[in-house]
Amino acid sequence: MTIKVLNALLAVLGGVAGAIVLYYLLNKLAELLPGKWEDRVKPYLYLLPALAAIGLYLIYPTIQTFVYSFANARSTEFVGFDNYINLLGSSGFQNTLFNTFLWILIVPAGAIILGLLIATLADRLKPKGEKFSKTLIFLPMAIGAVSAGAIWRFVYASNPPTQDQIGLLNGIVTGFGGEPVNWLQISGFRFNSLLLMVMLLWLQAGFAMVLLSAAIKGVPTETLEAARLDGAGEGAIFFRIVIPQIRTTLITVFITVLIGVLKTFDIVYVMTNGNFNTNVIAVDFFNQLFTNNNAGYAAAIVVMLLIIMIPVLVFQVRQFRAEEAAR
Amino acid sequence: MRIRSTLTTTATLGAAAVLTAGCLSEGGGGGGGSGNTSNTIEVMYAFAGEQEAGFQAEVEAWAAENDVTVEFSQTGNFNQLINTRVQGNDAPDVALFPQPGIMTDLAGEGLLADLTDVVDQADLDAMIPGALETGQVDGTQYAVPMSINVKSIVFYPKGAAEAAGLTEPPATLEDLQALTEGIAATGTTPWCFGIESEAATGWPATDWVENLMLINYGSETYNEWVNHEIPFNDPQVVDVLEQMEGLLLEEGRTNGGRQSIASSNFNTAANPMFDEPPGCYMYRQGNFVATPGNFPDDVIADIDNQVGVFPMPGLTAEDKPVLGGGDLAGIFSQENESAQKLVQFLSSAEFGTNGYAENGTWFSARTDFDTSLYANEVMKSIGDIAYSSTEFVFDGSDQMPGEVGSGSFWREMTAYISGGTDAKTALDNIEASWPQ
Repeated sequence: MTIKVLNALLAVLGGVAGAIVLYYLLNKLAELLPGKWEDRVKPYLYLLPALAAIGLYLIYPTIQTFVYSFANARSTEFVGFDNYINLLGSSGFQNTLFNTFLWILIVPAGAIILGLLIATLADRLKPKGEKFSKTLIFLPMAIGAVSAGAIWRFVYASNPPTQDQIGLLNGIVTGFGGEPVNWLQISGFRFNSLLLMVMLLWLQAGFAMVLLSAAIKGVPTETLEAARLDGAGEGAIFFRIVIPQIRTTLITVFITVLIGVLKTFDIVYVMTNGNFNTNVIAVDFFNQLFTNNNAGYAAAIVVMLLIIMIPVLVFQVRQFRAEEAAR
Repeated sequence: MRIRSTLTTTATLGAAAVLTAGCLSEGGGGGGGSGNTSNTIEVMYAFAGEQEAGFQAEVEAWAAENDVTVEFSQTGNFNQLINTRVQGNDAPDVALFPQPGIMTDLAGEGLLADLTDVVDQADLDAMIPGALETGQVDGTQYAVPMSINVKSIVFYPKGAAEAAGLTEPPATLEDLQALTEGIAATGTTPWCFGIESEAATGWPATDWVENLMLINYGSETYNEWVNHEIPFNDPQVVDVLEQMEGLLLEEGRTNGGRQSIASSNFNTAANPMFDEPPGCYMYRQGNFVATPGNFPDDVIADIDNQVGVFPMPGLTAEDKPVLGGGDLAGIFSQENESAQKLVQFLSSAEFGTNGYAENGTWFSARTDFDTSLYANEVMKSIGDIAYSSTEFVFDGSDQMPGEVGSGSFWREMTAYISGGTDAKTALDNIEASWPQ
């Protein structure tokens, strides 16, 4: 124990001292250069360690992943496009992609609609009621996805008909005299995937609500009053006055939730591990790498995920720049 | 601007700290390394909980008397870690392999000591035949079984079964099928079955398939199938799935039918057995379900009066095939006398007699072990089943490559049992997933 503490202290001290020495040496190095060049080169020398760290931890692994996606399961031999061809040709992976696509389609839009609805309705409550209902809806944000899984297992739990039902939904169903339903096994119309999406919505609605609520409160009352004087109804005010003015927040929420959806792993892993036709891309990646020890397939999946992500990121950066320019 | 540059510097400083901190790790911990000759030895194993506590107590007591210091390294991720440590030249002195596959690989590379002259022949002869052979590579003994578990056990509710007139355990597979139909004909479900196990859902189904493979075709064909010398979707396997369907999956065979099997947790799937009247009469599972947290607490407290066991029968009354598993002790530090002494102790008749046998989680691999030392009648019967076996094989999915043994085999069996795919497709998919 003491050795570990000492080691940790030593690491911190050594690390900081090392960094100071490094910058000192880089600075000295720059000072060796003649006048003008010193100023020109110095900023880059100072940036160097940070760039090197990013290169090592971000760029290098990305390139390596890209390379491995063209290699075999143990990354010992190149196999060309085989990984991609095999994956995209297998019905299992096609299902996985389709499920992921459904998640992308439904969850971000759902989070925004729910968030907007709650924010607008809560806005009309008395301050106390507003605070209370918002806190309640925000609460799941503080719960990790795995813990959410533990909670929702009790919602979807199903026991054989002869046993007591401990699941909430089946408690209701059998309370009305019905037969218990194996909720997470109903893959028709991807119903079980939808049930898992509900969990993510439950986790994310609070986040969407907080941001959108703040944006709605920021809409100048003059514009609302002007619209009312012109005889606009509540619906028209909401869709034609409020929405356009909170557009940037809407986009931010949408993209944040979208990125969260693409990374969704824990909910599916904990609830079904991709069984019963609920697999998504991140769970498939995990199973390819850690169950199947197939680095080639895993890398190929990540590269595909990256390709899906890039347009979203480009859009977000453009949006951000446009906003900055408008200021 | 000033703030921003300060931020960057802090971030880089942090990054540099993280970078350099990596150089200061504590090292291998313990003696380690295959060149170790001291009397401080490290033993690495995968089992945990009660089984680990009992093991440590038993070994500590022995070590204190024999001037050996034993360092215990438990890991849940044995197979991966042992490979990493061997590659890093930091192998433990003694390893208790939970599965034979990786032991065979390492022995093949010449990394494990030949135990032929280390362990007395009399001790080797005392081991359950099939289990001992699992520790051999090309006829050389590289590891000896120091514990076993048994997965060919059928549990039943004693009182309810007697009341229903079920007193004679089935002697053959046909008897078992007849018994199943007999119970089903009375309107009660004969079997309890559950394969839900969180991320490992499906494995209890693989044990069923393996049991039936062993019963129908014997250990030789079973091992060929496990080692992929015959295809996974061989017609014989298709037949076995059909047999399983007749026993377990047809209407009225299990509590709640196929979909409930996939959503019932294997730990608690048998609990309806102890309802009044019983929700089901038989549950085939490993010895470990008869422990607290699985069967209801009041049943565990009164286990000998409430729980009966019989072995999965063979094709004839003389056949007593048993599917199980166990931990195999092998030595990395070839010249280390303390390591040799430890393995000698683990294979001796004395090991387990100082309390380990009573904790209900450990079974000796020696057929001459005094079963009266086990905690209760149920454990004693389980020991007897293992020691009187005519064939003992290791769990097949544990020995298959990870893609199959803990991947497609679990997944496809789950899909098949819950009704997502038919038997043939499931087997074809597993065969297709076998790494080339």
